[in-house]
Amino acid sequence: MTALVAGMLALPQTGAAADLLNVSYDPTRELYRDVNTAFAKAWTDAGHPAPTIETSHGGSGAQARAVIEGLDAQVVTLALGGDIDRIAAAGKLPADWQSKRPHNASPYTSTIVFLVHKGNPKGIRDWGDLIGEGVEVITPNPKSSGGARWNYLAAWAWAEKNGQDPRDFVGKLYQHVPVLDSGARGATTTFAQRGIGDVLLAWENEAYLALEEMGKDQFDIVVPSVSILAEPPVAVVEANIKNDEQRQLAEGYLDFLYSPQGQALAYKHFYRAWDASAAAPEDVARFPKLDLVDIAHFGGWSKAQAEHFGDGGIFDQIYVPK
Amino acid sequence: MSLRPFIRRSPMPGLGLSMGITLTMVSLVVLLPIGALMMRGIAYGPANLWAVIDRPRVWAALLLSFRLALLAALFNLLFGGLLAWVLARYRFPGRRILDAAVDLPFALPTAVAGIALTALYVPKGVLGGLAAGIGWKIAYTQWGIFIALVFVGLPFVTRTLQPVIEEIDREVEEASATLGASRAHTLRRVILPMLAPAALTGFALALARAVGEYGSVIFIAGNLPMKTEIAPLLIVIQLEEFNYDAAAAIGIAMLVISFAMLLAINLIQIWSRRRIGDV
Repeated sequence: MTALVAGMLALPQTGAAADLLNVSYDPTRELYRDVNTAFAKAWTDAGHPAPTIETSHGGSGAQARAVIEGLDAQVVTLALGGDIDRIAAAGKLPADWQSKRPHNASPYTSTIVFLVHKGNPKGIRDWGDLIGEGVEVITPNPKSSGGARWNYLAAWAWAEKNGQDPRDFVGKLYQHVPVLDSGARGATTTFAQRGIGDVLLAWENEAYLALEEMGKDQFDIVVPSVSILAEPPVAVVEANIKNDEQRQLAEGYLDFLYSPQGQALAYKHFYRAWDASAAAPEDVARFPKLDLVDIAHFGGWSKAQAEHFGDGGIFDQIYVPK
Repeated sequence: MSLRPFIRRSPMPGLGLSMGITLTMVSLVVLLPIGALMMRGIAYGPANLWAVIDRPRVWAALLLSFRLALLAALFNLLFGGLLAWVLARYRFPGRRILDAAVDLPFALPTAVAGIALTALYVPKGVLGGLAAGIGWKIAYTQWGIFIALVFVGLPFVTRTLQPVIEEIDREVEEASATLGASRAHTLRRVILPMLAPAALTGFALALARAVGEYGSVIFIAGNLPMKTEIAPLLIVIQLEEFNYDAAAAIGIAMLVISFAMLLAINLIQIWSRRRIGDV
């Protein structure tokens, strides 16, 4: 009986030398499916033994918590630098992790765009149009979703650049939100399948994915004049590395993301990467230029998080008048 | 002074062993996690706990969770009871399928239920469309939450009452009728008192389930702070911010309120047992 229960509860054993667990966030499912296959081939071609690579997906914050609480990840590829900072604060990797790789340790970036119904019936061109009469905006709750924090900050940045009081503008914006989903995928479903709202604030890669999945005849992508440079960073979780062989594999895996082949895959999955040398031209040409504000503008994640999204922060004040 | 043994020797063999196993299991599965939560709260300090709880947004969420859980449990008491009566008393085609279907909310992952209910009740959905025709919004309002809570709580009332109804002797009702009681009178004075203890148990279970329900509600609730945000979502939000202490504080508040409510229900149950005697 005991043996039976133990057998049923047994977890798959990881941690052998050539194993790697990449803990990632929700919208990268399709990207890492391709990356894992391509990397495994490149790795064995370079004369290494065949690796076993697994990737786990979930909400970025929840994934970070799982790693802090002991999920045996050797590599994290999350939505926000702030989430990896939390893992660093728990002592699993050095605090200066973000300086270890190029481009703030973000092999690819994305931004926030608008997804609207085909033909853009409400005539939405830029952030200012979102607070127009009768416009309903779908965005997840910034308190529970990393992607939603980028949405919020992008709106804030636009208001700053256009001479509006950002706090007032963002406050008005959230009065046009009829549903706050807890995560980005949920918001996409609410908008695309439930038919709620006139515009979805979405990761650019999610918006293209929605177009591809639901058909280009249903939705249009609108690129605002100003948006945010969303940098989903990657890092090796030092505390979970068991031996040199595994360290080599983990480093090699993240380096591969920066290689021309890895970058081409990022472009293919609608991320804005850095090196277009091996990418298909149409994957690169897809991205229009726009004015991008980065998180450093908000003083980095630790400051932005506390100021805007922490308990009693600006987002709370927008919703709960003092 | 000699120590009195914790459990007196009983003529029943194996009591010590089975009691030991039971207490260990209950401690591991129930008491330790709740104890850990309480310890976290004690370490955080009562003043800090109160500071987390005493905010308009938290009060609004707690009030919403408990009010809708109560309403849903009352609804289930009425209609779940009716369903139990129909299933126990009548024979009709499809009864067995209906009987089996009552357990589905137990088996279905709550998130799946939530997504299915949302798809049905949004303005573009089958039922939501009908409601929208008369200007009634269901999904993303408190109505949506109510429906999700009714869904997850229904089997508790039905499954607690069904066996009790099946056990009621027909002769009791016949006796009541021969003595000249009307049907309503029989129902009120004979049947309902016999059902009351089980009904209260089912009600308490449905209520407890609804208070803590998360998966099915967040999809249909809309999650607007102060309007349709449930307390369990606030806990998850605090965790998302790595704010373990605040999450524990809201958890403790829910635990304390639930405990008070369940205690009150138990007292009513004891009182009603005394009044009508054991059934």
